[in-house]
Amino acid sequence: MKAKHVFNFSMLLLMGVYFIIPRYCFASLMLFDDKLRVKGSVYEFGTYMTKLATADEQYTNHDWGLMRTKGTLELLYNAYEQGDTNINLFGFYQWWHESVPDFDAAAHRSMTSRARHHYQGPYERADDWINEMYADVYKGPWNIRVGKQIVFWSEVEMVRTIDRINPLDLRYTTPGIDPFDEMKLGLWMVRGFYTTDLPGQIVFEGIWTPDFQRVRTPLEGTLLGSNPAPPVVMGKQAGKILPFGQNAAVDEMFRRDAPSISLHNTTFAFRVKGSSELPGNYLLDWTLSWYHGMNTTPVARHGKVGYPSTLNLNTDTLNGYLNNVAISRVFGGQNLPGLNHNSFWTYKYFDALGVSGQSFIPWLKGVLRGELSYELGVPENTAFTKEIDKNPSYSKVITGTTERDQINVGITFDRPLRWEWLQNQTWLASSGIIDTTLGWYAQRRQGNVTHIRRTFGYYERSQSNWTLTMRANMWHSELFPVVRFLYNAQNWGYAVAALRYQPGKHMRYEVGYTFFFARNIWDSPEAYSHNKDFAYFRIGYEF
Amino acid sequence: MKKNAALLPYLIIVALCCSLPCRAAEVTFPTPAYEGAELAKVKEWEKTWAGKKVTTENVDQVKEFLHEAVYKAMKDPSIFGAKFLWFDIVPYRPYDVSKGLIEATKKYAPASKLDEKENLVGYGDVAGYPFPQPKTGIEMAWNFDSNTRGDSSYLFHGGTVVDCRTGHEREAGHLRWELSWLGRYDVPPIPRIPNSENTRDIARSFFQRHTAPADFVDTTMLEIRYKDNREEDLWVYTAMFRRVRRYATSQRTDTIDGTDMIYDDQEGWYTHPTRNTYTAKGRADLLVGRHQDPKNVQRDHGQGFWNGFQRERVNNWVVEVINKDKDYIYSKQIWYLDPETWQMNFKVVYNRQGELWKMYEMTYNEQPSYGGGKTSMPSAEHIVDFIRRHGSPGNREIKGVGITIPLKQFTTRALQEKSY
Repeated sequence: MKAKHVFNFSMLLLMGVYFIIPRYCFASLMLFDDKLRVKGSVYEFGTYMTKLATADEQYTNHDWGLMRTKGTLELLYNAYEQGDTNINLFGFYQWWHESVPDFDAAAHRSMTSRARHHYQGPYERADDWINEMYADVYKGPWNIRVGKQIVFWSEVEMVRTIDRINPLDLRYTTPGIDPFDEMKLGLWMVRGFYTTDLPGQIVFEGIWTPDFQRVRTPLEGTLLGSNPAPPVVMGKQAGKILPFGQNAAVDEMFRRDAPSISLHNTTFAFRVKGSSELPGNYLLDWTLSWYHGMNTTPVARHGKVGYPSTLNLNTDTLNGYLNNVAISRVFGGQNLPGLNHNSFWTYKYFDALGVSGQSFIPWLKGVLRGELSYELGVPENTAFTKEIDKNPSYSKVITGTTERDQINVGITFDRPLRWEWLQNQTWLASSGIIDTTLGWYAQRRQGNVTHIRRTFGYYERSQSNWTLTMRANMWHSELFPVVRFLYNAQNWGYAVAALRYQPGKHMRYEVGYTFFFARNIWDSPEAYSHNKDFAYFRIGYEF
Repeated sequence: MKKNAALLPYLIIVALCCSLPCRAAEVTFPTPAYEGAELAKVKEWEKTWAGKKVTTENVDQVKEFLHEAVYKAMKDPSIFGAKFLWFDIVPYRPYDVSKGLIEATKKYAPASKLDEKENLVGYGDVAGYPFPQPKTGIEMAWNFDSNTRGDSSYLFHGGTVVDCRTGHEREAGHLRWELSWLGRYDVPPIPRIPNSENTRDIARSFFQRHTAPADFVDTTMLEIRYKDNREEDLWVYTAMFRRVRRYATSQRTDTIDGTDMIYDDQEGWYTHPTRNTYTAKGRADLLVGRHQDPKNVQRDHGQGFWNGFQRERVNNWVVEVINKDKDYIYSKQIWYLDPETWQMNFKVVYNRQGELWKMYEMTYNEQPSYGGGKTSMPSAEHIVDFIRRHGSPGNREIKGVGITIPLKQFTTRALQEKSY
């Protein structure tokens, strides 16, 4: 709480200074002889669910999915500058409060108090309020950054392939609606660059981090997550909303078993970046990368799986424990069965080799981008095949673990399209340019997939997605209509239509609607959201 | 005697013919806007008008020296959200042209010529103004293109996007480093940066880091224009997304962040000259800002048109410009080029329906440059949209002209350095 108070006080103080001193109203604040730059924002983001199924509605009284207030403060201090040596200190701090559980009793009851506390603010980890904080040192061709950082390695949008240094926080949004950088979780690391004099502006980059954060998936009981399941059907609590369903239990175990900051949990990543001239005067910007780190989703710990049967009730084994959780839920149990210091899950290492490129193609009048990653030894849980275990993918018992290789590829083509009609509408004051991006993303899982236990995409060897993003500008770039669409070959996808309005220096407004569709909700987390269409708004102040 | 008399004209003709190559090699430069009787007439006029403030009330008296677009705005200030508009008249002053520019022009101009595609022969290996006494529109366009503004510069460019109907304003600002790699005449090495350091035949480049608006801070652009007519390369580091991304230069006709300027409009025309056809339209004696103190410009909130321009008379070269792309956003541009520095003092553009759409008025001021010389640099400008009643007034703080900028500044790595 101290951090929160300090943050709130700083925000109020800075905003006070900002309003009082007119010369600072230009953009960011510059203080101490322009050595300290201060930026920040305050945003309110709300989603209203419009198509909830009857089963979902018992977990909400108001149909509000999110009501999140978020403040950010960005400080950049030029600490030292002499010759070719420069040291900057950068901090990006954040605080948020998700208030739906405060005013919606059903939502409140769907979570345990601990899960709710972690969910409502930056409290999952003690340093969640620090988005980034690092020293940035330049000396000749060297650049070293030490501290908590977020790394961006991707060329394409909407789907991640090589950009995997920082895990995502998916609890408050869906990829495609918000950019990935809004969802990334910072990691404490050392990151170094060496700029060479070699032809092609070649830059070497290395990352070392002893830090680890697991992916944060939508929490059970929240509208972007699953409902607490299985339902309570027996005993005094039958039909009531009780927290800690199977997914919440798994999430809690994942959290407890996540490695802490330690030299034993080291992640390495290297990247070489350059530009090469290809025949025909094409200038290709390329990267080659290697990542060695832990998967952000764990697998069952060796020796802890237990007998793979729904009849296994031994709480010292993973299968037995999960069976106990399910039975306890059915009878209205409000607490998790004791874990007895058992650690059932482990986060395992894998490697990923990546390559990316982008180039402007004059004859197509657009920019072609692509990236490919080959992931080696991705850890997976195993299960019996459909023939042996007829249970649905989400309730299959785990038989053990294995590793699989996986290929991800993404290609996008950006081309600005001129729509003369739009340009001619004087009242719309548009340049008539529509920034259009077409994308294709695919994943192929190598090896036998029929023995792999996956809740989503079970038995599927490959996934293929097509995306389209179109963005126009109106009222002299005060108003931006945006449409995003993703279609998966398994016949699921989503569409987002949004309108962003930025009338002046500070205020920002956005409204939008997100529509999901799916043939089989177990194809992907997005398909699972097929009944979670929502309208959203975002109001913010930037300084 | 009669025989000799008949021979004399013949000998004179022969002598004249023999001297032709020498006469063609003679180049007059600098080229003051006014000389002799013309200058005297201007000075006479200035006795009445220099030091006077021109407002909506008395603008009719100088109407003949204003472009109709400026006159229209002056007569009805409410178009651009102003209660009143005014400017000062200052005496005409010829520019102090740098020694390097004079030497380069005198050295290379005599041999200047265009090939069949209207490219300047030897472009990159020559410098200065290739056609100090131009005869065609394309020659004027090449003169305009050959102004390197001191070969390099570093400045802050601040501006405001103003909706003159609603009074909404959005501020923008950036730091900009610009470098001419070819056609250099002031800062060594001249006339070009050696091929060993310019393997891609870069002609010009700029590196631009945004300081406002708040959500645009640290967004950085790098654009490279090449010696030949190939498409420019444009990279943008978008601070919001922390990525360096290639941009399609076919986006050049998109407006820059809501201003009334498209990418091609930067500095008047910011791409290869051969993408247009040019027709010379003679001279226009207009009041334009050539010695503008940037502190003299002022405006009220919601006003898209500067007050306080310090205008002086200059007989600009007028060129009609039509893009070779039949679908180009402008049906026609009219450029008004300075006869001394070939900078663009003024331009108007017409939409595809042939209506007067936008006016781009740039004022300049002389700045200390390399080796104690002076260079005319942009000072304050406004671009106004007559149809949508919108304006983008801006001004510049020149931090250095003819300075040394490391070539590494113009690399994609630099885009991400020191940006957060």
